[in-house]
Amino acid sequence: MKAMLTALNLTKHYKDVVALDNVSFEISEGITGILGENGAGKSTAIKLFLGLIEPTSGSAKALGQDAHESIAVRARLGYVPEHDCLPGNITAAEFLGHMAEVSGLPPSHARTRAADTLRHVGLFEERYRSMGGYSTGMKQRVKLAQALVHDPTFVFLDEPTAGLDPGGREEMLELVRKTHREFGISILFSSHLMADVERACDRIIVLQSGRLVQSGEVTHFTKETETVFIEVDANRERLVTVLEQRGIVVATDGHGLYIEGPDESVYDQVRDALVEAEAPLRRMAPRRRALAELFQHDGEDFASELAP
Amino acid sequence: MTGQPVAPKREGTVFDIGYQNYSGPREGRSRARISIVKNGVRTSLGFGRGALAKVLPWLFIAVLVFIAIIMALVAGAADRLIGPEDAEQLNLPSHSDFYGIASIIFFVFAAIGAPELLCPDRREGTINLYLVRPLTGTDYVFSRWLAFFLVMVAVAWLPQFILLIGLLMGDPRPLDYLRQNWLDIPQFLLAAVPLAAYTTTLALLAAAFTTRRAYAAVFLVGLFVITTPFTTGLASEIGGTAGRWISMFNLSNIPVHVNDVIFGEPSLITGPAPAAELSSWILVGWFFLWTLVPAGVLWQRYRRLTP
Repeated sequence: MKAMLTALNLTKHYKDVVALDNVSFEISEGITGILGENGAGKSTAIKLFLGLIEPTSGSAKALGQDAHESIAVRARLGYVPEHDCLPGNITAAEFLGHMAEVSGLPPSHARTRAADTLRHVGLFEERYRSMGGYSTGMKQRVKLAQALVHDPTFVFLDEPTAGLDPGGREEMLELVRKTHREFGISILFSSHLMADVERACDRIIVLQSGRLVQSGEVTHFTKETETVFIEVDANRERLVTVLEQRGIVVATDGHGLYIEGPDESVYDQVRDALVEAEAPLRRMAPRRRALAELFQHDGEDFASELAP
Repeated sequence: MTGQPVAPKREGTVFDIGYQNYSGPREGRSRARISIVKNGVRTSLGFGRGALAKVLPWLFIAVLVFIAIIMALVAGAADRLIGPEDAEQLNLPSHSDFYGIASIIFFVFAAIGAPELLCPDRREGTINLYLVRPLTGTDYVFSRWLAFFLVMVAVAWLPQFILLIGLLMGDPRPLDYLRQNWLDIPQFLLAAVPLAAYTTTLALLAAAFTTRRAYAAVFLVGLFVITTPFTTGLASEIGGTAGRWISMFNLSNIPVHVNDVIFGEPSLITGPAPAAELSSWILVGWFFLWTLVPAGVLWQRYRRLTP
């Protein structure tokens, strides 16, 4: 798959503080989550890709170019900052039109794009209202819209769900997914909310203290921890014994049985064990542990669980 | 049963064609700069904003126009009451005096208006959205400077043109007046440039150090209001060369001295100032010093700005 962002031996020092330490990775098309605690280097990485700061050593390329040397590439990039960035005294339509022009679009095209983009984020009816009167959710949508108005190839989202209520958060995540699925725009989704990353992203990279500690497909991490949950109406202990006789490791809790990392053959063995133990089956379902469980197990270091 | 033929019912259908990728032209950095200039001009004059945002700029413009109208009326009345020859002997204020007379209005206009172009962008975080687009901090601040400079030039020219029309209409022989005074036109057009450059630069520099427009405005107005009587009093008290140099620190007179150089005569405001006795080169050099150094500091503030 085509690499959108490439970090090669990327290092950034702020005087004595090491923000990024010899990090190398590639981000391809799709939605990639970048996870890490405060100070892990997420924002520094985004600034380096946008060419806003120079690396101490190594290189950060967006769409094959170093944005610090060639700022023209920023016309193909979008950015949604975490914090407030919208002027309160002008309308969303005027603001987006202006932002589209600042990204290089001629005025007539900018106006059209502004209206279209506001429709896509669900603010078409509100476009002539001053943004000072918008709710947090509406402001987040305008922030996303300003990043999309010039039809970028790649967008950086910095905590796009911050401050949203559950409903607004779900809508924003759906909008993020739609941005890639329907608009064809690839995304780097920076967040410390793993549930959001899990729901929106195809891949993740994990930074810790300026170092890359893990990267890969979200499904890869969760699939490795897949379990089968079995609940029976009677003979639970007998079923455990039968399963263990068949060489299957079983964990139990107050509700039922768990078999970790099952392959296809386990399902047949469970079926046979149920018959042998005469245990009436109430429920059997595969379960995956959430990313949050993986990263925050027992309150330990959030990335240590993923050490290869 | 017969009936009128029924025309087929025409129905409109709305198609959602979904998201369309943009395939039009991309004009890059030059378009970005133009857009920031355009936005700056609109912001300065309150266009696209609420009614409240329009009050201050247009109030100042109205005051400047009012001063020009009064000057034209006085000149016209003098011509009619005592005749053009005697009126000329009165040396009534004209184009060469206008910028000096109205200088404090220009300074207050700049002090209040220019910070609106920089302070809210930093306070509200909008600067972050500019700096991730295809332009640099230098592009941004220069475009903002140019926007307010253009507004200042226009605001300076407007009352001068009104004054010119008033003087032409007040004169019994307008064409003769124009033949004799045509040089005033390029002179007042040119003299607006140093006035606009100086006021814009100082006002934006003050704005670059605060996110609150009011702080920048109060600081600038205070600076002009304090330095004028202080330097005037001290210069006349000390006298001599030292007095002339102290008089140079009257910040509101700095561009008006250049105005005098352009018109070739001291204005009503700067004529009595000891600094007017210094050579034109010193006065123009002093103006450049007070414009270029603040411009350099302003540029440095924004050159390496990152979100």
